[in-house]
Amino acid sequence: MIWFSLLVLIPLSAIIVKAAGGGLSTFVDVFTNDNTRSALVLTVVSSLIITAINMVMGTIIAWVLVRDRFPGKALLDLVIDIPFAMPTIVAGLVLLSLYGPESPIGVEVSSTRWAVLLAIAFVTLPFVVRTVQPVLEELETDVEDAAASLGATRFTTFRRVILPSLVPAIFAGAALSFARGISEYGALVLISGNLPRKTEVVSVRLFSFLEGGNIEAAAAVATIMLLVALLAIVSLDVIQRRVARRG
Amino acid sequence: MSIEIKGVNKKFGDFVALDDVNVSLPTGQLTALLGPSGGGKSTLLRIIAGLDSADSGTINIEGTNATQLPPQKRNVGFVFQHYAVFKHMTVAKNVAFGLEIRKRPKDEIAKRVDELLKLVHLSQFAHRLPSQLSGGQRQRMALARALAVEPTVLLLDEPFGALDAKVRKELRDWLRRLHDEVHVTTVFVTHDQEEAMEVADEIVVINEGRVEQVGTPDQLYDEPANDFVMGFLGEITTLNGVMLRPHDIHLSLTPQLSEAAEGSISRLLRVGFEVRATVLTDDGEEVTVILTRTHARQLDLEVGVRVWVTPAAGALTMPSTQKAAAV
Amino acid sequence: MASRSSNAVANKSQVVKWVLRLLVIAYLVMLVGWPTAYVVKHTFADGLSGIQDALSDPDVVHALKLTAQIAVTAVIINTVFGVGMSLLLVRYTFIGKRALSVLIDLPLSVSPVVVGLALVLVYNGRFGWFGPWLEDNGLQVIFAKPGMIMATCFVILPLVIREVVPVLEELGDDQEQAARSLGANAWQTFRRITLPGIKWAVVYGVVLSLARALGEFGAVKVVAGNVGGETQVATVLVQQKYQNFQQETAYSVAFMLVFAAVLCLIVVALLRPKEHKS
Repeated sequence: MIWFSLLVLIPLSAIIVKAAGGGLSTFVDVFTNDNTRSALVLTVVSSLIITAINMVMGTIIAWVLVRDRFPGKALLDLVIDIPFAMPTIVAGLVLLSLYGPESPIGVEVSSTRWAVLLAIAFVTLPFVVRTVQPVLEELETDVEDAAASLGATRFTTFRRVILPSLVPAIFAGAALSFARGISEYGALVLISGNLPRKTEVVSVRLFSFLEGGNIEAAAAVATIMLLVALLAIVSLDVIQRRVARRG
Repeated sequence: MSIEIKGVNKKFGDFVALDDVNVSLPTGQLTALLGPSGGGKSTLLRIIAGLDSADSGTINIEGTNATQLPPQKRNVGFVFQHYAVFKHMTVAKNVAFGLEIRKRPKDEIAKRVDELLKLVHLSQFAHRLPSQLSGGQRQRMALARALAVEPTVLLLDEPFGALDAKVRKELRDWLRRLHDEVHVTTVFVTHDQEEAMEVADEIVVINEGRVEQVGTPDQLYDEPANDFVMGFLGEITTLNGVMLRPHDIHLSLTPQLSEAAEGSISRLLRVGFEVRATVLTDDGEEVTVILTRTHARQLDLEVGVRVWVTPAAGALTMPSTQKAAAV
Repeated sequence: MASRSSNAVANKSQVVKWVLRLLVIAYLVMLVGWPTAYVVKHTFADGLSGIQDALSDPDVVHALKLTAQIAVTAVIINTVFGVGMSLLLVRYTFIGKRALSVLIDLPLSVSPVVVGLALVLVYNGRFGWFGPWLEDNGLQVIFAKPGMIMATCFVILPLVIREVVPVLEELGDDQEQAARSLGANAWQTFRRITLPGIKWAVVYGVVLSLARALGEFGAVKVVAGNVGGETQVATVLVQQKYQNFQQETAYSVAFMLVFAAVLCLIVVALLRPKEHKS
């Protein structure tokens, strides 16, 4: 318990206190600073876009993993876990090698907004897949048979019978994906080019505040990020509880 | 017109689930597919519904060749052992599902759902979620849901298997009465012979993928085609290499007939108004005899008493293919 | 394991099946598979010389050693703490338990630079809350190994706990109660009854947290400061080498890190069936 406090609770509260210490003016300054504001907008919007994509792709990937059978499927399973295990800076490097200068397929997105999307998509790939997978595996196929016997096409069955059961899991994964997306640092630092107002994300901005010695601003930005993260976790909890009630 | 099943074969890998099955299920009748677990009855039912496909053979439903049709097009109602309720829809929405798929007008749907919920006595639960219903209620809802689309045939796969004994009995009676009212061709699968005999107009006995016999409950009980059917539909015991019903055995304290086997009572069990006596004959056979309590009292039966047993006059017998009586 | 899809007599579902399959494969290959393969290609472009050169660079060797030290230390601390915390969460009830449980998941959603900042604010030698006091007593946290270890611990905090808690819950405390009734004290009960039961979950968590610890970048970078050499871990080195146009070295070290991480993944994948068997 003591360890937990030392490690987590106290430092976290330190951020809030520090930010508060600077007073409301720090927050205002932070928001009026164009660069910071663009960074915030860019980060949040990019994460939202990728989260939306993940919700669709993640569900499809989980579906293929659970319901389909073909040689090499286990390999796909491993590939999905790579973003989990890979050091974020290496992830950036990895994406650069295929999508940066000297790209073998002629696609160069480094230092563009596409790079931001790409990097976030990479690191958040596993989240929705891994939350939806177990739910899909547990689904009884009886209900699908029932829907078929009542005249529903495969698509209608998916839409009206299967999807509703998956929705809580999809949203849980989406919350994780969004939280991870806005906090990503390592994967973005190399490939996005960190151009202020164009491709600079919040975490990079924070780091530059720190390097520049502007601790107050850094703390303010950090507090905002913490609030958003906390929001993600709380909504996760709420959704999971609602699922349990339906059970 | 009826359901015609011709030459249906189905294998799962090396396991033969159905072996050249030919049955005709008359329209408007309540038929039971009866047999031990793993015998193929559920597989056959699912093939009729189109939820599984046969390796060979044809299925004709009311004159139409349904063999290649997907379940959506066969107009069959299916009720599952574990209800298969749509968890996130209310009872009313569950029942309405089939009609909504067919794009019926809203008020028609509402009317029909109302009708059906009344029929299955679930009107007051219309807006509840299935999780708030008991097992028996969920199954009644599943039935209403299947009936909503006015299916040509209603198929039930061990519908009461997941319910406890009392509820099972209630729903059994209830299904019979429902059928008397609605008259839809109904086929249900069960491994419980009592259930089949109580509810069905006709029973198809299926064992190891083959049809053993088709007939009314009385026919199957009194005129079994083979020893499997005889053994499955009622209790049997063996005497002198011949299979009999235990209550068809005459037990006396004196040798009355020359073919009577001699033995002594090894066990006596009083169950309600019945008395079950196990007689160990001198030949080493264990014969079960069932008498009424009164009769047993008259004979003053006790363990160890010497008795003579013969088949009663006019008893149903079948040569036993079972191994010599267990010691 | 592919669960049985509804066997209903199919029609056009074959087309849909293939479309989905190809979509998934294409997405995964283009996003993850191909880029990752490229790292291998770049690293071994000149055969093993890339790696050999990298390993002969003293900076690289130092960084690798440091990374390993920090990761292992952090994982050990975290495992001990994690198991203890799991026991606390599952076997005891107390006010604020729900909040604690939610907070434990926090490190997963927090940006690594925020983690670094937080630690700096508290433990910085000049203006931190505890920093000056600690430093006066000889313990430097920020810009030094202890801080880096703490940063790593923060980010791997939930990993062991999330593996152990469900297993503990499933085990139930019947066996532990039986042991107590037979006279075992708390430590004996733990060592002989509880620990064997959660063995695989702990191993699983350890491997996962090791993989994560080796790869940590942002938090450690902030805490370590920008003093190259002394407090530079492998991940930070990769960035530095790349930005100094020493790409080959960067790729080589990156490859080593990925290799270690994938190794952990494979170990985990192999262990999983064993866990089910027991």
